[in-house]
Amino acid sequence: MIEANTPLLRKVRYFWPLIVLCLGLLIIVAIVDSTGDIILAQTLVEGLVRIVIVVAIYMFVGNSGIISFGHIGFVLIGAYATAWQTCCPYTREMFMPGLPTYLLNNSHHFVLAIFLGGVLAAVVALIAGFAIMRLTGIAASIGTFAFMMVFYSAYLRWSTWTSGASSVIGLPTTTTPWVGYAYAVVTITAAFLFTRSKWGLALRSSRDDEVAAKASGVNVFGQRLLAFVISAFFCGMAGGLFGHFLGMLTVDSFYLGMTFITLSMLVVGGMQSLAGAVIGVVVISVVIDVLRRLETGIGGFSIPSSSAEVGVGLILLLILILRSSGITGNAEIYWPFKRDVSSEGALRRQS
Amino acid sequence: MDYVIQTIISALSFGSFYALGALGIGLLFSVLRLINFAHGDFITVGGFALIVPSSAVVATMAIGSFHPALLLVCIVAIVVLLALVSYFLVFQHVQNASPATMMIVSFALGYTLQNVIVMIYGGRPKAVNIFPELTGQVQLSDGVSVQILQLVIIAVTWVLLIALVLFLRRTQVGIQMRAAAEDFRMARMLGVNGKNVIALAFILSGGLAGIMTLLFVTQTGVLTFRMGVPIMLFFFIATVIGGMGSLVGAVVGGYSVGIVSVVLSAILPEELRGFRDACVFILVIIVLLARPQGLVLTKAAKERV
Amino acid sequence: MLLDVDNITVHYGRLAALRGISVTVEEGEIVCVVGPNGAGKSTTLLAISGVLHPTDGAVTFDGKNIAGMSPEAVARAGISQVPEGRHVFTTLNVEENLRIGTRMRKDRAEIEKDYKRVLELFPVLAERRRQPAGKLSGGEQQMLVIGRALLTSPRIMTIDEPSLGLAPNLVDRVYEVLLELRRNRGLTLLIVEQSSERALKAADRLYVLRSGEIQLEGKAADLQDGKRVRQAYFGFEEGVTHEGEVDF
Repeated sequence: MIEANTPLLRKVRYFWPLIVLCLGLLIIVAIVDSTGDIILAQTLVEGLVRIVIVVAIYMFVGNSGIISFGHIGFVLIGAYATAWQTCCPYTREMFMPGLPTYLLNNSHHFVLAIFLGGVLAAVVALIAGFAIMRLTGIAASIGTFAFMMVFYSAYLRWSTWTSGASSVIGLPTTTTPWVGYAYAVVTITAAFLFTRSKWGLALRSSRDDEVAAKASGVNVFGQRLLAFVISAFFCGMAGGLFGHFLGMLTVDSFYLGMTFITLSMLVVGGMQSLAGAVIGVVVISVVIDVLRRLETGIGGFSIPSSSAEVGVGLILLLILILRSSGITGNAEIYWPFKRDVSSEGALRRQS
Repeated sequence: MDYVIQTIISALSFGSFYALGALGIGLLFSVLRLINFAHGDFITVGGFALIVPSSAVVATMAIGSFHPALLLVCIVAIVVLLALVSYFLVFQHVQNASPATMMIVSFALGYTLQNVIVMIYGGRPKAVNIFPELTGQVQLSDGVSVQILQLVIIAVTWVLLIALVLFLRRTQVGIQMRAAAEDFRMARMLGVNGKNVIALAFILSGGLAGIMTLLFVTQTGVLTFRMGVPIMLFFFIATVIGGMGSLVGAVVGGYSVGIVSVVLSAILPEELRGFRDACVFILVIIVLLARPQGLVLTKAAKERV
Repeated sequence: MLLDVDNITVHYGRLAALRGISVTVEEGEIVCVVGPNGAGKSTTLLAISGVLHPTDGAVTFDGKNIAGMSPEAVARAGISQVPEGRHVFTTLNVEENLRIGTRMRKDRAEIEKDYKRVLELFPVLAERRRQPAGKLSGGEQQMLVIGRALLTSPRIMTIDEPSLGLAPNLVDRVYEVLLELRRNRGLTLLIVEQSSERALKAADRLYVLRSGEIQLEGKAADLQDGKRVRQAYFGFEEGVTHEGEVDF
């Protein structure tokens, strides 16, 4: 069938789980782009931004086994940090009068702004993680949750920097499908490389048996902190992308709703696999979109208002009841062709 | 001095409410390892059951206009039924999944319940008025008056706590439940019916939620489809702060959270009062760091590592 | 035949922990299953008690197929298990621990008599009836779980490593009690042990389990010299090193 073991082929095989995901998304983006449907493109961009968030959460949650309710806090931090640098040059002082003079008078290119947003989220993660990552299990989850609540309620009150409970309007809408795709690919690649790195391996060993990992010399705290910081960085960037997709920001959009939907996407896809993170977003986004369209009515047929949300909830429940380890069953998409002696199909359980 | 007494009563009443909520969550966690994020939404459903299902702006009382005793029975029965149905239709099928998955399942259930309410009742808040006589003030001594409801909440909480403790300590079924909470598998190997124990935990948890519905709605006088979410967050934190799986811990945690938030609003300077929640959550992190297993250490938690 | 474990296979995920093993226990017999760590001994007992369900094979108890039944149903059918690590309910007091398994019994009248007998058998439990079981010593806890299992009035009792973590004199005492129970009350016992010497002393018949398969079975009387048992147990001749031996 295919000649085995040329160096190139070995590389392709190694990177196959990554290649499949990026190619799959490429096809979706290309198709949507060619239809020219604006509403569809909106859904797509939102989905791509969510992929960045969910894959970033996966980097931490999937490898450490600690459910984080706090990552949307990093999205929030990144979103506002980006807005400080790019939003509405003429009205910035009106929305956010407390900003330092430099930020009031200067704007950054949005790529730099998003990057710096990610950096700020990572720095916050480093500080917060220094405390929270000492916790394990459910206590760590609550720690991350408390962290998110601290930032959510602080940003809500800190109106001279965030406009508080009202919106910041006028961000340039630079997050097009292709920009979203680029960031999604970068994030997925980073997650893939991290998972396969020695750090990812050490972290997963602590996920499966913390005591044994510690006994084997793994610095569990350090590994968790590293993953926390890296994933916060990408979440922060996702926040910037999100602002530049909507063109406006409100603190309330980075709260329990987003926390719930992104975690659901991860769990539905398969919490411990990168493919699961991506597939979860795609599946749930499609479900949401289809139901929303049904709610508005297609060809004279429509479902009652807010039944779309009910439908999303029920479908989530159904998927989780039928497949409690997610659609992918925590597996990656492996090289589908015969390799060495054994081949067990395209989906294989990750060790 | 009056202000101090009022603050203390208010702290105790908030604490009692959170303690009841944390108990409802702790009961399920102890036998099922489930953190039920839909618990707050059970309370919401109970609240909406008071009124006639319609999306009209003005709420018409249905069960809410019954005689108080009947009203209590009906609402508790409805919430208990909801809790049981969610066990048999949903949680039973994921009880061997990871705690994370169960948590997301309960999230999804809560989200579904909220939106079912929006579908039936519309998304706008609705004013309701039950037990109006409880919202009045009572004179404790000259100059010190507190809301009757606050005293009622404290009293109801302690009656329920004592009843629950008697049930768990003095009845065969209660002892079985405690055994199952400590070692579910071993209890089953001694003939304790696992399904019944879990169903019972859902009944108790639902019953608590039903009673809390009435206390909460009397207090706020308004129904919104998301009203269960913010209180659920405090229950959840109370459960964890107190110590997962310990019922004493749930009570301690509930009172800690209630007292701290009331005291913080009382002592924080004006310009920082808006940051009260942020302070509460920073305290949560500090408590977790100092006592990761919670304030009340359970045997089960101790043995985990 | 009271208990017939017929050719069962048990998987943990994709890993087969038991590969087609068969064990039988006659009424009134003491049967021991010995084997090294990870041989599948505990798995065997858990498969009998309904905690694990075999992917293949049958478990018949008193002529009724019990494979696939829930743990509580198996317990009600008359199999009482004392699992590895004792598992007392530490927050319940000694009496509550002892009585918890009596709720499923139909012969109400017999319960009090049995309760008295258990307290006579283990006087130390009688003394500490009101204390939380968590406060008992390891030996006392072992007595407690045996007493607790007895009070379910089982047709057969299975015990997983009764000697685990106990001082030798306490182990002797535990075995004394078990043998006495068989003598006086005709109790049928299926015991899992790591120590083959101990098992050879107590058992009527012996199975040696290694790597999820039965390596040897026979009457204890025929195996007394111990050589065949040791060979089956370790999987190689004494004095011969053997590379690549995998224990899982």
